[in-house]
Formats: sequence, C-alpha cells, structure tokens
Amino acid sequence: MGEQRQRPRRRGQGELEALVLSALKEADGPATAGWVQERLGGDLAYTTVITILTRLLAKGAVTRERSGRSFAWTCALDQAGLAARRMRKVLDSESDREAVLASFVTGLGPDDERLLRELLRPAGPDGED
Amino acid sequence: MGVFVFLPLVLPLTAWPIARLAEQHLHPRTATRLLTWVAAVMAVCSTLCLALVMVVGTAQLPGNPLPDGWSDPEVRAAVPYDEVAGKAAIPALFAVLAVCGRTWWRQARVRRRAHRALAGLRDTEVAVLPDGVPYAYALPGGGRRGRVVVTTGLLACLEPAERRALFAHERAHLAARHHRFLLAVRLAAQANPFLRPLRTAVSYTTERWADEDAARTVGSRRTVARAIGKAALVSPGAPAAAPAGLAGLAAAGPVPRRVAALLGPAPAVRSWPSLFTAVGVAAWGAATGAVVSAMSSANSAVTMVLILHAATPL
Repeated sequence: MGEQRQRPRRRGQGELEALVLSALKEADGPATAGWVQERLGGDLAYTTVITILTRLLAKGAVTRERSGRSFAWTCALDQAGLAARRMRKVLDSESDREAVLASFVTGLGPDDERLLRELLRPAGPDGED
Repeated sequence: MGVFVFLPLVLPLTAWPIARLAEQHLHPRTATRLLTWVAAVMAVCSTLCLALVMVVGTAQLPGNPLPDGWSDPEVRAAVPYDEVAGKAAIPALFAVLAVCGRTWWRQARVRRRAHRALAGLRDTEVAVLPDGVPYAYALPGGGRRGRVVVTTGLLACLEPAERRALFAHERAHLAARHHRFLLAVRLAAQANPFLRPLRTAVSYTTERWADEDAARTVGSRRTVARAIGKAALVSPGAPAAAPAGLAGLAAAGPVPRRVAALLGPAPAVRSWPSLFTAVGVAAWGAATGAVVSAMSSANSAVTMVLILHAATPL
C-alpha cells in the first residue's frame, strides 16, 4: 500500500527516525502508526513508518503496546535522550569536528593500551589518592 | 634578492625539531602559546610571499588587469624562475585560501549544530547526555556560553573524584579558549603543510595544559591520570597515528604520554629558559626562526613595492 506514491526525495535513515520521533513526541499519549503517517503529511508510506518505528523500538527509543489489532506507540525518550541522539548525529556526520571540539581522550594506538595499563597499575583502585 | 624571496615558504621546516623539543620540555601553557604564535607568524609570512610571487609572475600574462609596468624586466629579475614560480603560485594561493575558508566555515557549522542539538536541555554548564557511548568534550560558546558535554556511558566508568577531574579538564579548555589555538594552528598547517608538526604538537600541549589545570583544581595528579586512562580504555574511536616498530614512551600515542606526564612531577613554569639547555635552544630557535621569517617576508614585500614603484608611473 502506498507504494505507487513517489517520495519527493530520498532521505537518510537518521533523518526519518528523527521525523517519526518528533511526531510521536507531539502526540498526547500513545499513537498509532497511521496517526504518525498522517502527522508527517502523508509523504511516507505506511510500511516505511512501521519499519522506522520497529527500528526505533530495537534501539529503545520508543515503546509499544497492543491496542486492538494494531500497536500504539509511545516515545520513550525525554529531552535529554533526544539531545543525545541529535548530538551523536552531529558527531557522526562531521569529520572535521576536531577543529572545534577538544575531545577528552583520543583513540589508542596498538601498543598504547598495554602501555596505559602498565602505567595505571600502581595507581589502580587500591592506590593512594 | 634572489632565492631569498622563497625563504618564508621553506622556513617552517625549522619548526619540526622545535615543536618536538618544546612539547617535551616546556610548560604546556608556554609551549602552546609559543608554538601557536610561531605557526601563525610563519603561515602569514608564507602566504604573503606566495601572493607577491604570484603578482610578479602573473603580471606578464596576457589579459591580466595589472599595470604593464609590473611585468617590467627589472621586476621579474627580482624573482628567480619567475615564469614557473609565478604560474605555480596562482593555484597554490587559491588552494590555500579555499582550504582555509572551508575550515573556518566548517568549524562554525560544527559549533552551531552541536549547540542546536543541546537546545532542549536546561541551560547548565555541564550537559549530561544519556548515551551508552562514552565521550566527553568541551563545546566552545562563540557568543553563547561554552558547555561541557559528557555522556552517562563515560561517567559510569569513573569514580566521583575522577568525574571532578574530567569536568575540571573540560572547563580548563573553555576557560583558556583552547579552541582558538587549535583553529589557528589548523589554519596555519593548511596555509603551509610544513607547519603540520606544529599542529600535532599544539593539540597535544593544549590537552596537557588542561590536564595540569585539572590536577591543580582537584589537588591530585594521580586522579586526573586515572580518569584519562580509564576514559581512553573504554573509548571507541580510530587509533591515533602511532609510529610502528618503535617502543617506549616517546613513540606512544598522546594518551599514554599524558598519563605518564601526570604521574611524574608537575612541570616548572619558567618565563624564558636559558640558552644553554636543550629547552633554551628550542625556545630561542623557535623565536629566531619566526623573527627571521617575518623579516624576510617584510624585506621581500618592501623590495617588491619599491621595485614596482620605480617601474610604474604611479
């Protein structure tokens, strides 16, 4: 169903997930996939909405409960959870982020891990502080 | 003037041993300021030199908007191999400007997008994100206030004292505006690729600087060392480039070197070291290199302007 409808343009998975999440967020209580589809202006196929909701369920971003023959979906993320998702998207999409964001630690080289464990051994949990 | 016109383009080579020595022996704050200043001066000189060579070299191209006098034989004699150098300088200068402009624009975009991502949260200095992936960084403000971003995944690995060390470290980055140093050396390294070792050195010394500040704030060097070590062991991410086949701390990545430095004694703060030590040679060498480069560029510029003035009826 809805397959004959042409989508305006191809969007990335992250963007679609964000759209569906923000729509769910606006619902008063649990909402059905059909409601979400309508809310998004109907430019997503019903099956696409279901696919995205299932993916979000696997990630723990939404919960669902059976209501009649279908499911009712609820956004499980609060403001902080949504912010965390948005931040991950920024970090994943920007290859140049070192220019701005001074990260606490950089990645470890092949020998670094062993070296680090050796250095920290006397300073372990039993060490003085 | 001869080949000395090209001196500012290759003088940044002197920065290689200097970056290494300063990073190992100077207080991280001194090293960061010194190396950033050296990088900025050398990058400006090198770009200026490139622009002058371009003007002289291209003045003879048919259809250019420059006065005819600028392609006077006398002017061209000032730049050796003016035909080749002049033509090569055009794409080089445009590449430098384009790459630097792109970096500038991109860093503004990352900052804007990161601030927007945090928009729904309460406006506290520390933003804790519920995310299993451990990471933490300082997000500079730029008009807004800077924020420390940290995930629950990272905080869960640390003990309370170590969390305080982590926050102190990131606050030190924000308070000392380390992102400006980092951006400056990044742009410099793009203006002249010979300056790349300075960029690596400054990204290390800014971390060391924040480490030392954090150690002073929490009152325990060992706690900061342990926080860094634990965070690094749980963090994903591409391994930092480490030279293969070499053993020992000198060849290790930045994290073990930071931890080792914190487990050692605090670095001494000296204003200007004596010339008769390795540190002194590094510091004074850096300063001399920068001054010579600046003077050489100024010399090139003045000579060029004088010749152009003599050759044109302006």
